Amino acid sequence: MTQVKVCGLTRVEDALAALDAGADALGMIFVPGTPRCVDDAAAREISRLARGRAVRVGVFRDAPPEEVLRRVRELPLDAVQLHGGEGPEYLARLPFPAIKVLPADDALEAEAERFAGVDLLIDHPSGGGSGQVWDFARARALTARGRRVWIAGGLSAKNVAEAVRLALPHGVDASSELESAPGIKHAARVREYVEAARAAEPETREPDATGYFGRYGGRFVPETLVSAVTELNHTYAALREDPGFWEELAEHRREYAGRPTPLYFAARTSEDLGFRVYLKREDLAHTGAHKINNAIGQALIARRMGKRRIIAETGAGQHGVATATACARYGLDCEVYMGEEDVRRQALNVFRMELLGARVHPVRSGSRTLKDAMNEALRDWATHVRSTYYLIGSTAGPHPYPMLVRDLQAVIGEEARAQIQAAEGRLPSALIACVGGGSNALGLFHAFVSDSDVEMIGVEAGGEGLEGGRHGAPLNAGSPGALHGSLSYLLQDDCGQIFEAHSISAGLDYPGVGPEHAYLKDTGRAQYTAVSDAEALDAFVYLSRKEGIIPAFESSHAIAELRRRKGGWGSGDCVVVNLSGRGDKDVAEARRLLGSGD
Amino acid sequence: MNRLDAMFERVRAEGRSALIVFVTAGDPDLATTAELVGELAEAGADAIELGVPHSDPIGEGPTIQASTLRALRNGTRLSEVLDMVARVREVQQVPLVLMGYLNNVLAHGEGRLASDCAAAGVDGLILADTPYEEAPELTRATRAEGVHRIPLVAPTSTPERVVRIASAARGFVYCVSVTGVTGARSELSDDLGEMVGRIRRVTETPVCVGFGISTPEQARRVAALADGVIVGSALVDRIGRAGSPGAAIAAARDFVRDLAHGLGGG
Repeated sequence: MTQVKVCGLTRVEDALAALDAGADALGMIFVPGTPRCVDDAAAREISRLARGRAVRVGVFRDAPPEEVLRRVRELPLDAVQLHGGEGPEYLARLPFPAIKVLPADDALEAEAERFAGVDLLIDHPSGGGSGQVWDFARARALTARGRRVWIAGGLSAKNVAEAVRLALPHGVDASSELESAPGIKHAARVREYVEAARAAEPETREPDATGYFGRYGGRFVPETLVSAVTELNHTYAALREDPGFWEELAEHRREYAGRPTPLYFAARTSEDLGFRVYLKREDLAHTGAHKINNAIGQALIARRMGKRRIIAETGAGQHGVATATACARYGLDCEVYMGEEDVRRQALNVFRMELLGARVHPVRSGSRTLKDAMNEALRDWATHVRSTYYLIGSTAGPHPYPMLVRDLQAVIGEEARAQIQAAEGRLPSALIACVGGGSNALGLFHAFVSDSDVEMIGVEAGGEGLEGGRHGAPLNAGSPGALHGSLSYLLQDDCGQIFEAHSISAGLDYPGVGPEHAYLKDTGRAQYTAVSDAEALDAFVYLSRKEGIIPAFESSHAIAELRRRKGGWGSGDCVVVNLSGRGDKDVAEARRLLGSGD
Repeated sequence: MNRLDAMFERVRAEGRSALIVFVTAGDPDLATTAELVGELAEAGADAIELGVPHSDPIGEGPTIQASTLRALRNGTRLSEVLDMVARVREVQQVPLVLMGYLNNVLAHGEGRLASDCAAAGVDGLILADTPYEEAPELTRATRAEGVHRIPLVAPTSTPERVVRIASAARGFVYCVSVTGVTGARSELSDDLGEMVGRIRRVTETPVCVGFGISTPEQARRVAALADGVIVGSALVDRIGRAGSPGAAIAAARDFVRDLAHGLGGG
């Protein structure tokens, strides 16, 4: 848990307020002539009160070591914090723990190296006690390497959660923002700050109890649907801990969906790009894409919930086909909402779904594409909520869907992690996956999120270019907002109307993105790029010719990003690309776009 | 005092239920909406909900979807709806409630919307896609500004939820009469009385019933159970089918007058 420190205490009553609020550490300043310098009598009393309840930290600036030592022994103090020009040799002479204060300026990384092994407190570049804030995410590079770092500089109840989330620090430290006058603490502000720091979620792989990844996620549905998402949440919370469910799922994945899928070493691509490339072959899963992993899992959940009517939305039809397949397999009724425009463009997939026994409803509202299909599915669900299970196809929608779909897709990364370790004896340097709603990317990333040395790269649909607005890249060119049940990045205008997305790839043609991706973007754990239609089409041809694998247009975006990285990694590096689906469905469109071919 | 609270006090004293009507702001255009506010208040509407058009109205049936689309084609924006309310307020004191979707609120700014509503003379806010526990900033901001954030209760809301929602409600509790989206229904639920009763047991805040009420006869039956009756799609449908703004106003006025007579007001 993040340690919470209240600094600059000069009065006994303020120290008591901080202790009562639950602070882990109290700081007293012993720098004569500064406004928050504590007098001896108060310091002794505060030290006595805090004994055993909080760490007592003395703050010094370029004081002779003898003086520091005397204070530590007489008061006593548990630790010291050094704000001046004290060097590593000075710290080495102190026979007790010390925290070195460094400004968050250009020299931060070099200075942190110079004080190797020492606990750091990073403050605003303009100097300690200024109360100004800085980019807390800068400290993340240090905490990610296991350094014990305290964050300071303008912290209060308002921003402490942000500091915890962005920097994942050992502790947080606040002083001036908790005051009513210099040296005089405001008890309510102290309490609110400690509470906010306590409640702050450090970067995590799980949403909180209300379905938030940081500030993203939630459950933004009409009241009529709240009981249904709550019921699903309870059901899934139990199933998640139920080994029987996962064993059943594993058997169906193996016997029916063709898992595990291979991790294929792409020799000719590797030779071309200068590093070792592995393709996770989700294109070889049943129905030709990763979507089946989710459809089977949710169909099993629906069956356990006693819901026999399944609804789904689909864009290109891949999720619709996967859902229709799972429903055929488990004997469930299946109805699929699909934009009228997509019904026309993907006539073959409509036939597939019908062949599998599903009813396809063309959606004529709005832009008549995936976004509107999802609107209509939500309306159907609200109307038939008691009998119907909504099988959402991506890591989007209201909580618990983003977590649920991710968990069901996490098998991709779990397999890939074991496979790359078997092949290379180590973890990959990077993962690359395309991101529409984001399920194949999170499926690959999830097992690696805690491996901070593994770079995670999500690739959005750049469409005709980010400038003109005709794309599907909310993480690159959108802004936070609420759509289809959760808060995340969206393509929207300045008054909150959602734009239509555009992409050569129908599976990436969506104006939103799963909330966990928004979170991974903001925390810097994953980076997100965008690839244009033209680059994706080039990559589609490239992989077909280099490896004899025709990728889906969606996966072609990941391949295009991979090609951009030529020379970016060394021959010793290996990279895993999620080949989320096969390209058969896109062959006709590719033929049209490429001319009649050779 | 918030105009909604004053209105419910007055209507209660008159021994009847309130008639609340919904129109989409900007359908067919904002000038007509401004005129409609005055005309409908005159015809007997005790309060008026103004739908703020959103690109993705997941809670609406075909009628309000179509109306929303017409308003969006006019480029109707939340800020313009607020300006319109401010202008209407110079001459008209009927309680006004904005009904819409969270993303337009987020784009405007939660705190800013609350203060803009108060400044313009908006009395309440209903979000169709946001359960009461979500968007706590908005709840805080609207409370501080004296604007009621009105929660919805649905037939599927669990008894514990009904208690929590109703006891925190301000303005009124919007009781959704049917499981589904907005739109006219030929039959109303038999359980309506039971549902309203459940809410009444935990709060003094008025309970108003909406979704699916489309005739004066239905309105009268619901009025016997609740503090208010909300009519939306049936009115929006008449506005949408009219050939001109003038005809839309006339058709809407006549319909609201019929509804009001049925409820003993107007």
